[in-house]
Amino acid sequence: MSITKETVKAHLKDPAIFCCRRTKGLVISEADLEDPTLFDDMQDAGLLTLQDDGLTIEQVLGSTLLHDVEALTPITAADIDAVQNVSVSNPVPVSEEVTIKKIDAAVPRIKTTQGSDGMIHIEIGKANAIEGLKVDVPVLGNTIGQPAINTSTEGEKKQDTVGTKRVIRTLVKKHIKITDAEIGDETSIKDGKITIDKHIVDKAVKEDPLCISLTLDVIHPDKRHVYTDTIMDVCPIATKVEGELGEGITKVADGVVFMLTGIDEDGVQIHEFGSSEGYLDEKMFFGHPGCADKNDIIIRCHAVIKRKMGMTRPGPFAAHKCQDYIIQAVRNQLKTYEGEVVREETCEDIRRSGNPRVVLVKEIMGQGAMHDNVICPNEPCGIMGGQKNVDCGNVPIMLTPNQVRDGSIHALTCIGPATKEMTRHYIREPLVEGLASDSELDLIGVIFVGSPQVNDEKLWVSERLGSLLEALDIGGCIITTEGFGNNHIDFIQHIGQAGKRGIPVVGVSFCAYQGQLVVGNTYADAMIEENMDQGGFENNVAGCSCVTKEVATRAIQMLKNKMAGVPIEKAPKKWNNDVINHNNKLLGLPETKLVDVGVLH
Amino acid sequence: MLTTIEGMQSEIFVPVTPKPIFTELKKPLSECKVAFITAGGIHRKDQTPFNTSGDFSYRVIDFDTPSSMLMVTHGGFDNSDINKDVNAMFPIDRLHELVKEGFIGSLPKETYTFMGGGGNVEKFRNETGPEIAKKLKAQGVDVVLCTGGCGTCHRSATIVTRCCEAEGMSCCVIAALPPIARQQGAPRITAPHVPIGSNAGEPNNIPMQTAILKESLEWVRDCPHYNGLKVLPYEYRHNV
Repeated sequence: MSITKETVKAHLKDPAIFCCRRTKGLVISEADLEDPTLFDDMQDAGLLTLQDDGLTIEQVLGSTLLHDVEALTPITAADIDAVQNVSVSNPVPVSEEVTIKKIDAAVPRIKTTQGSDGMIHIEIGKANAIEGLKVDVPVLGNTIGQPAINTSTEGEKKQDTVGTKRVIRTLVKKHIKITDAEIGDETSIKDGKITIDKHIVDKAVKEDPLCISLTLDVIHPDKRHVYTDTIMDVCPIATKVEGELGEGITKVADGVVFMLTGIDEDGVQIHEFGSSEGYLDEKMFFGHPGCADKNDIIIRCHAVIKRKMGMTRPGPFAAHKCQDYIIQAVRNQLKTYEGEVVREETCEDIRRSGNPRVVLVKEIMGQGAMHDNVICPNEPCGIMGGQKNVDCGNVPIMLTPNQVRDGSIHALTCIGPATKEMTRHYIREPLVEGLASDSELDLIGVIFVGSPQVNDEKLWVSERLGSLLEALDIGGCIITTEGFGNNHIDFIQHIGQAGKRGIPVVGVSFCAYQGQLVVGNTYADAMIEENMDQGGFENNVAGCSCVTKEVATRAIQMLKNKMAGVPIEKAPKKWNNDVINHNNKLLGLPETKLVDVGVLH
Repeated sequence: MLTTIEGMQSEIFVPVTPKPIFTELKKPLSECKVAFITAGGIHRKDQTPFNTSGDFSYRVIDFDTPSSMLMVTHGGFDNSDINKDVNAMFPIDRLHELVKEGFIGSLPKETYTFMGGGGNVEKFRNETGPEIAKKLKAQGVDVVLCTGGCGTCHRSATIVTRCCEAEGMSCCVIAALPPIARQQGAPRITAPHVPIGSNAGEPNNIPMQTAILKESLEWVRDCPHYNGLKVLPYEYRHNV
């Protein structure tokens, strides 16, 4: 009675459990069986224990019950007169075999031309049942001998140029080799070595009255087993030498990053959900996009702010602002330093007309306190000149991929260390890189949307995003969020905004065990997990469970599948890393190896 | 052309929780008219029993019906507890005691009971639920408490409770299966440690039944937000 004839089809391989007590002689039908989607909850509540010898739904339908059976008891062969034959073919492909297909997402091609022979030629490139059909229709009136005119449709023009790259603007990022750093008597860059004037902290601290003190030191890659207070941010040293954010030339110091740590006057860590104080070598996921790389020199800027200001908006911001004064001094040196260019990276904002238009939506924190971000500062990854998304009302803001790759976001990061996206993350965001370089798609922009504190505001902001997505006339989008918990309300709402407009959407988040979704909707059926912790927890290792290259590759492929109508199998009811590795394997990606730091909240 | 790869699986489980629905209680409990509905298959002995294989009809029960006149028809769980004491699912005697004590203001003239096992979601959501809600509201009810029996019974109970909340009454599901009430979107949930069939407390254990009722009513008053769950410290096990 619990399942209908329709739903039973999806559950033929699931265990057969009577929903109610059933008596001898009953011919079993779907109406007698409990809904398999409830089994997990029932098992959790201790109401149901599944057995290995329990039969599946397809094995019991139509069989006769030999004796009375209680509700919520698995049906076994001993309970029925005959076990039904089961079709051999497995309806769900679980094979390891990979099927890669090219699917034309463009409209059917129909070409119409009027020839000089007085005929109208209609050519249908592809339709549902006909292919390669050509029809010649005589043109009425005497047109023979007149010049041919082409009446090609707009769609046909696009077809001719599908995927053709049109460059809107170019950004060149010059990565300048840095081999050492020290705190000394002047601020300079010489022969690959950054020196920072030890007295600069006295001026920097005056940038904000909430900052009490700043200290600088340098941590070399071989000496990372040092104590650190909670990691507030990892920030590259990058500066404009030509043009605005997103175009021209940017210099990026290679092999060195700034790391901001902070406490208040009472020694309380500036953090929200979990903090990462401890030994640095254990507290950062080196190599992840937001983090320091394996061989990076870390210039640590430690801030002490006024007591009880850690969980207010101005407190953590003061630390970031004062650090930026110091970074700016280094940027100014970098502008004129003609050192070795280890890598020259050319980034292009492009249109690939005719390809499916897609956007990346990045939900960023906007609940106040340290849950804020500075958008489009004057300098890459800077503070000055930028606007805070909380002040902007958390409304969606469109940036070009190049602007993002040129450090348009300075993260005043908060939430859990493992799941926050730090400033360095955005300047090399794997989803931005992956979508921008994908020749099958047309990435038209990256939307940043804040997550407000109040439920009603979340919904209001999400409505605005929905209208924007609709107006952009996109063929698909990927929506990400950092952190977990209340922001998942917005996240799911955003997915719904796209979904209800018929826009294929893939969601990307840390959920796993601790962050499992609190809400959902039917559109959230193509989801990518960021977790890399053994227990599925926020493990306080900075940058552990974020968007990585592998996460981005899976998300982009899943989006293409969804856009092309290739079915995506349902997620299991509980987080399972095997599912992630199954997808990795299909895509030829390395296994997602989970980190065991023994976190059990 | 899009390159596709077949066989990918979504990596994150997504519960589909219905939209939030929450009516704040704006009166002291002692002034409230409190109704109790149940999906646990309770009806008067002289009424037509429910169809145990699914039934979205409901029965009208006058609150002045003696509890000895009530019985259960529900195939989804062991009925022995309710057979011993109908208050284990539908604590009608305890409610009268609470009125006498002044803990709540009054009871409506009548309430409505149904059998939620395997309940047809659409019927309960669009017909039975709204009808029950309207009839309770018409009697000036402020607070609605609800129990359900088996798994799908909790779902039906939650659906009807949501209808009542939507009608402007403040409601709480007393759940033996809180995860289901939670995911199905109950406005408020209390969860004593009891087996399905005895949501309202051990049969004939008057102090436990009273405590579960009182704390559920207090949760209607105090629950800060939609879908809030409170685990109640009362435990009862029975061996079927």
